[in-house]
Amino acid sequence: MEGAMSESVEKLSAAVSLLERAIASLEQRDAAMSGDVQRIVAAVEHGAEISPRELELERKLAAAEQQIAELRAQGTRPAATRKTLPASTTQLLAKGGITSLESIDAGALDAALTGLSLEQRIAVKAQLMRAGALA
Amino acid sequence: MRLEALAVALPDVAGHPNRVPFEGVLTLVDEPSNRPPSGARGHRVILTRAAAIAALPSLLGMAVDYAPGWDGHDARRKCGIITEADVEGNRLQVSGYLFGKDFPEVEEQMRRSNAGTMGMSYEIADAHVADMNASIWSLTRATFTGAAILLREKAAYRETLFRLAAKRCRSTGLAATVPERRCTERLGRPHGSNNGQLEKGKEARCR
Repeated sequence: MEGAMSESVEKLSAAVSLLERAIASLEQRDAAMSGDVQRIVAAVEHGAEISPRELELERKLAAAEQQIAELRAQGTRPAATRKTLPASTTQLLAKGGITSLESIDAGALDAALTGLSLEQRIAVKAQLMRAGALA
Repeated sequence: MRLEALAVALPDVAGHPNRVPFEGVLTLVDEPSNRPPSGARGHRVILTRAAAIAALPSLLGMAVDYAPGWDGHDARRKCGIITEADVEGNRLQVSGYLFGKDFPEVEEQMRRSNAGTMGMSYEIADAHVADMNASIWSLTRATFTGAAILLREKAAYRETLFRLAAKRCRSTGLAATVPERRCTERLGRPHGSNNGQLEKGKEARCR
């Protein structure tokens, strides 16, 4: 009985010792991680200034970023498409009663192209799609 | 928009020959410096908003200085004083006076330099770094001991700004033209009744 007690006490003592060492180690690590600095000056240290080359690169980067932003802004705007078609196509459409490219009705277009061969119809529709008049 | 502001109210003296009002952005809060500041052992730093706000009282009454090459600090060339400071958004803004009569070269430099070429740099003491091993030091406590006027490219923070102010009292922004009103008026106090006392205000700086 006494032997068992003694063994337990020894084990507990060893555990306490280990815990104490762990705490000391943690405290040391904490002190090393955070710390006080006597003086900081928010100016670039002499010798660490921005070189003319770096300045030039920064300027170029800024210009490039601005250009990218402008292009992105343009990309989000609806494209102002130029609806131009070859004269022959325009004439064909006019014969079918289509004079404006702003609002082409699919049914009206098919009716207007009935006199054409399949290849010609495909060609006209392709031209209209390129011109942005047909989705 | 969150604004924390402090000011030292000085009595107005019309046409004071040695008071040239200035305004500027001293630093950015919660944003890393573009370059490692001097004394930060090569680390870039972040001045936390909480640390900056807590340190605002230490900034008031501190001097602004300059180095002849406009490239750093020279604590023995104190050419002005900071009388107001606020944190608006991520900008720590200051305003105050240059001693224009004593340092005509400073005023001359400001008038001669192109807009946006002059910046500012703080000087802090007793700064606490949250983690010295971090690549960017986070400053969680600091005491302002002064500021310098310098070329922006020489400042650790590229977005700082220094310029002469059109009028003594500025609004929350850095507008070039601010209606002339006394700061004592904006705080609802009679002119000259609170000279030298520390005042705390929020929201608009001028009414």
